Amino acid sequence: MKDKAEIENQFPAGTAQNGRLPARSTKKTSSPLTWYIFLIPSFLGILLFMIYPIFESLRLSFYQSNGTIEHFIGLENFKTVLTSGPFWNAVGNTFFIGIFQIVITIPLGFIFASLINSTPRGKNFFKVIYFLPNVTSIVAAAMIFAFVLHPEMGIVNYLLDIVGFPTPGWLSDPSTSKWAVILLAVWHWIGFVIIICLANLQAISPEMYEAARIDGASGLQQWLFITVPNMGGTFAFLLITGWIGALQRFNEVYVLGGPNGSPARSIQTMGAFIYERGFTGFEFGIASAATYIMFMIILVFTFINLKLSNMKI
Amino acid sequence: MSGAFKFIVLLFFGLLLMAPFIWMVSVGFDRTANISMPFPPRLIPEEPSGFNYGIVFENGRLIQSYINSAIVTVSSVLLGVSASLFAGYAFSKGRFKGKKLLFILVLCTLMIPMEPRLIPLYKLFNSVDLLNTFWPLILPTVINGMLIFLCKQFFDQLPDTLREAAQIDGAGEFKIFFRVYLPLAGPIAATMVILAFIWSWNDFMWPLVVLNNQELHTVPLYLASFSLENGTSLGGLTMALATVSILPIIILYLFLQRYIIQSIALSGVKGE
Repeated sequence: MKDKAEIENQFPAGTAQNGRLPARSTKKTSSPLTWYIFLIPSFLGILLFMIYPIFESLRLSFYQSNGTIEHFIGLENFKTVLTSGPFWNAVGNTFFIGIFQIVITIPLGFIFASLINSTPRGKNFFKVIYFLPNVTSIVAAAMIFAFVLHPEMGIVNYLLDIVGFPTPGWLSDPSTSKWAVILLAVWHWIGFVIIICLANLQAISPEMYEAARIDGASGLQQWLFITVPNMGGTFAFLLITGWIGALQRFNEVYVLGGPNGSPARSIQTMGAFIYERGFTGFEFGIASAATYIMFMIILVFTFINLKLSNMKI
Repeated sequence: MSGAFKFIVLLFFGLLLMAPFIWMVSVGFDRTANISMPFPPRLIPEEPSGFNYGIVFENGRLIQSYINSAIVTVSSVLLGVSASLFAGYAFSKGRFKGKKLLFILVLCTLMIPMEPRLIPLYKLFNSVDLLNTFWPLILPTVINGMLIFLCKQFFDQLPDTLREAAQIDGAGEFKIFFRVYLPLAGPIAATMVILAFIWSWNDFMWPLVVLNNQELHTVPLYLASFSLENGTSLGGLTMALATVSILPIIILYLFLQRYIIQSIALSGVKGE
């Protein structure tokens, strides 16, 4: 049945109708128009809230604009953004935080997922506990972390001090503030990584493990040679979604450092740069140009990630 | 590794992940924390009291932001989920020109971040005088590529024979959708509601842009403004506020954790 439908879709009406019984064609009452009606809400949404803004943003990037007065200035905004120190600083911050978040969270999350998957007791309990940070809002989490990482009265430095480690200034010091954000990002994202890994761990066929056991492979060997290679697609998915999220980072750095990412712009991300230029400075043209550069970075980066991970969409 | 050892390792790191929450609750109940943060940190408040919570509720802005968040979230979920059910069904069972192309367009929306749309959407809602209302938060949720995709996948699993049977009985497309397929879509609808709820409740950047009026602030906005105004002073109050703000989502999570975890896993795995 399905094949027939596909064939009919592929060939123009004339060719398909030759093979069709007259009885069937009278039964087919619905016109394509009905289907378009089903799609109206979504496509009105896509048109108004996706396609229009994308093009309007492109147009604005060639104008000097504060929302009411507009001047065409060509590529001037792009030049301004691309030669601006704060912009590249924001790009650097975004990538720095993103890289370490991903490099730390994916392997760590995978190890925890493997442990949870093979623990005889409390599997469900651990799933619930480890995933909890991910459902709580990042805004509230950032608020809590400002205290947890406080250099003098925070719990982290208190414990570090007890064990005899140096106590960094975390968010009060530009040289360590990015690490504070990374810590928060890892804490918030790890539950998601664990849940995705767990779902895919359970999809690996048990027969492979059985065969390996018969051949005398140890638990660690099975993990290294069966589990890890079978998780390729999962890691690729996490890498791509992780990067898309990381490149758009805004909420937590805004709560922790305001629109300019203090201290000393050390945690201002690309999103925060756009917000700062657009909504505290009302430089819509510059913000739009920055937005397009960011959009390109995301697209290029996603493409590279897709290639690297050999993923097919 | 033995089972007991794994259990202890997992318990240790689980407690480590929970530590910020545990500390948050403890500081919130500490009367002296409102003057200065207790140091050295302690788990049991020296002077346990509901003082900080009292102030949080007396102030009233938190309750107002709760109401605002509730209005926005419920409307967004209703709109987003129903539009996605319609679209997902059409993409799964429909036969019409341009179906493949339109579906690719839907998938492309998944790649488009909020940032490039921020300023045009702001100007758009400004031009129809809807800034500082809830409409800009509700209307754009009508399009959600992820939900449409999940929904299409679900309807793909339901047999076409149901349609044919209903067609023979003379039912039109809408009747088939509402009477035959929609009643079967319970599980996927629940998943979509959960995902849309969490996304909408935690949304921050866009509300920050369109809601300047404090009266209309949603919960995350109120938290952020409180946090930016007070920094790391008023520890006890901040922690009480944080506790109350995440309570609804934690309660929801503890009751529905099985479904929430499934939904996230589903959206992740199927997104592959």
